[in-house]
Amino acid sequence: MATAASKIFGGQPPKGAYLQAVRLIGNPGAFVRANLILIWLALFVLVWIFNPIKAMPYPSEIWQTLGEMWRLQGSQGLVYNTYVTLKLNVVGLLYATIISLVIAYLSVVPLFQPFNKTVQWLRYIPIVGFNLVFLTLFTIGWPMKVAMLTVGMSFFLVTSMTGVIASIPPLKFELARVLGYSDWQTFYRVIVRGTAPQMIDMIAQNAAIGWVMITAIETYNRTEGGIGSQIYAYSSINNLPAVYAYLIVIGVIAILEDWLFVLLKRALFPYTTVAERA
Amino acid sequence: MAEPENDDTSCQPGPLAGAAELHEPLLVVEKLDKGFRLNDGSTLLVLKDFSLTIRDIKDKPQIVSLLGPSGSGKTTALRIIAGLDEPTAGCVLLTEGAGKPPRPVRVGDVGVVFQRYPLFEDLNVFNNLIEPAVRSGMSRQAAKDKAAQLLDEFDMLKQGLAWPMQLSGGQRQRVAILQQLMQDRHFIILDEPFSGLDPVNIMNVIELLTRTANMHTLNSFIIITHDVTSALIISDHVFLLGRERDAKGQPIPGARVMKEYDLIAEGLAYHPEVEDLPRFSEIRKEIKLVEFPKL
Ligand SMILES: Nc1ncnc2c1ncn2[C@@H]1O[C@H](COP(=O)(O)OP(=O)(O)OP(=O)(O)O)[C@@H](O)[C@H]1O
Ligand SMILES: [Mg+2]
Repeated sequence: MATAASKIFGGQPPKGAYLQAVRLIGNPGAFVRANLILIWLALFVLVWIFNPIKAMPYPSEIWQTLGEMWRLQGSQGLVYNTYVTLKLNVVGLLYATIISLVIAYLSVVPLFQPFNKTVQWLRYIPIVGFNLVFLTLFTIGWPMKVAMLTVGMSFFLVTSMTGVIASIPPLKFELARVLGYSDWQTFYRVIVRGTAPQMIDMIAQNAAIGWVMITAIETYNRTEGGIGSQIYAYSSINNLPAVYAYLIVIGVIAILEDWLFVLLKRALFPYTTVAERA
Repeated sequence: MAEPENDDTSCQPGPLAGAAELHEPLLVVEKLDKGFRLNDGSTLLVLKDFSLTIRDIKDKPQIVSLLGPSGSGKTTALRIIAGLDEPTAGCVLLTEGAGKPPRPVRVGDVGVVFQRYPLFEDLNVFNNLIEPAVRSGMSRQAAKDKAAQLLDEFDMLKQGLAWPMQLSGGQRQRVAILQQLMQDRHFIILDEPFSGLDPVNIMNVIELLTRTANMHTLNSFIIITHDVTSALIISDHVFLLGRERDAKGQPIPGARVMKEYDLIAEGLAYHPEVEDLPRFSEIRKEIKLVEFPKL
């Protein structure tokens, strides 16, 4: 029986050869390394096309549907709905970031710590559980969607941002104090400036979580449209290619967004690229 | 005596404060006690009646060492002298200049070079020096000039634009020292500046600190170390930290300064080849074989 190890080493595989064989196979050549994502993507598409179990529509169907949706005018079209959702995503993320940063920064002030803790606990409750609360506070539609997304993301953002602040080594504060920084200067120097790149990481991470919430929120608030409401509508009439087309749109936007955050972090905080290389 | 907090009335300048003119006391540490609550609820007394006085030496560089074995309470003493921690009792007084009355120390009065050389990782070397100086009132231009001059002195101009993450351990230590030198403070405490270094680099650091002390005679260095030889080479005064023994020879909790070596009086200060002097070996032997084992 020709195992991978015996093929590579010829004849009887030496001790530890299996492990080494796995390492060799797991260590691709330069071409493969350079095109790793493309190769995996191609593999995925191939499996998708030749998959005997038809759980998903074929790529060709989805591509065709995407084209049709692109040509649809007005509130039915791909462009309009993507715009509605993207706007919600950006505005919600902006509000959530500002609110969460403030609450996370306040965690260093003892007076506000209980508040911070409460917000962190609330992340265990599904956001749609607050539907009635939001309904009484906001009119259905745009304001309610923004409020739900902002609040939903903030629960997670506050938790991760507070974690970042809590993990600052005490030595950093002491360095600032010894150098004569006032309390406010220390706060700005060590907490605000010192953690900014990690905060961007947290925002990027939560933007991804946000996409899960957006589709749920738009399913409950369908008046304006948006990708979530379209997915709901298409799946209720069993138009699977259209559903998958929108899922792919979400995926592409999410990847681009993530990439933007990476660029932003590198541009604003070049020292983090040194840390990445180290 | 052992009050939980250091109340202000106990921290008034004592009789030492107004002493001799030539050797004016610059830093007076008076009867510090420091206890830590341990996890089992008991209290560990680390410092007891810890006192020391550092006097001005006119126009001479000044380097004093606080020497003691590992775990003897050196870092604890440093943190109190720097104002980072409150003592359980006692106080630290500082004189800001000739004729001025001594006052209790505050954080920021005394520079500290911490053991692991923390820097602001998001600022390059230049800004690590400039920003703190500007924050504490120096003009930006003056700070820039001073930073460039200090970096040049320390042979670090090339690293001016580097991020702290790109520095070697030795370079990092130098930037950490320079960061403290930027501001005109009299005392700079260094916690274990020789630890983790090979003999050649220990000599480099000694040379560097001596040179700095010679160039900046307004700065005094307090070096905290367990390295007997280095302490004797670099210092003009050595304070030996240790504990009293009871009748059975058991150490009584709470360290204090047990012995002070005035190396100026011994003729061992400001001497380039100090290691070759017989008196140097004598004192070193005394500390290593007689004093240290007692601590
Ligand atoms: N925050 C604390 N809580 C409880 N015990 C402490 C605390 N800080 C220090 N100690 C104890 O105080 C004693 C002295 O510690 P310290 O760090 O001052 O020693 P050191 O002389 O600096 O030692 P080293 O040379 O190893 O750095 C040790 O027994 C240590 O366990
Ligand atoms: Mg120590």
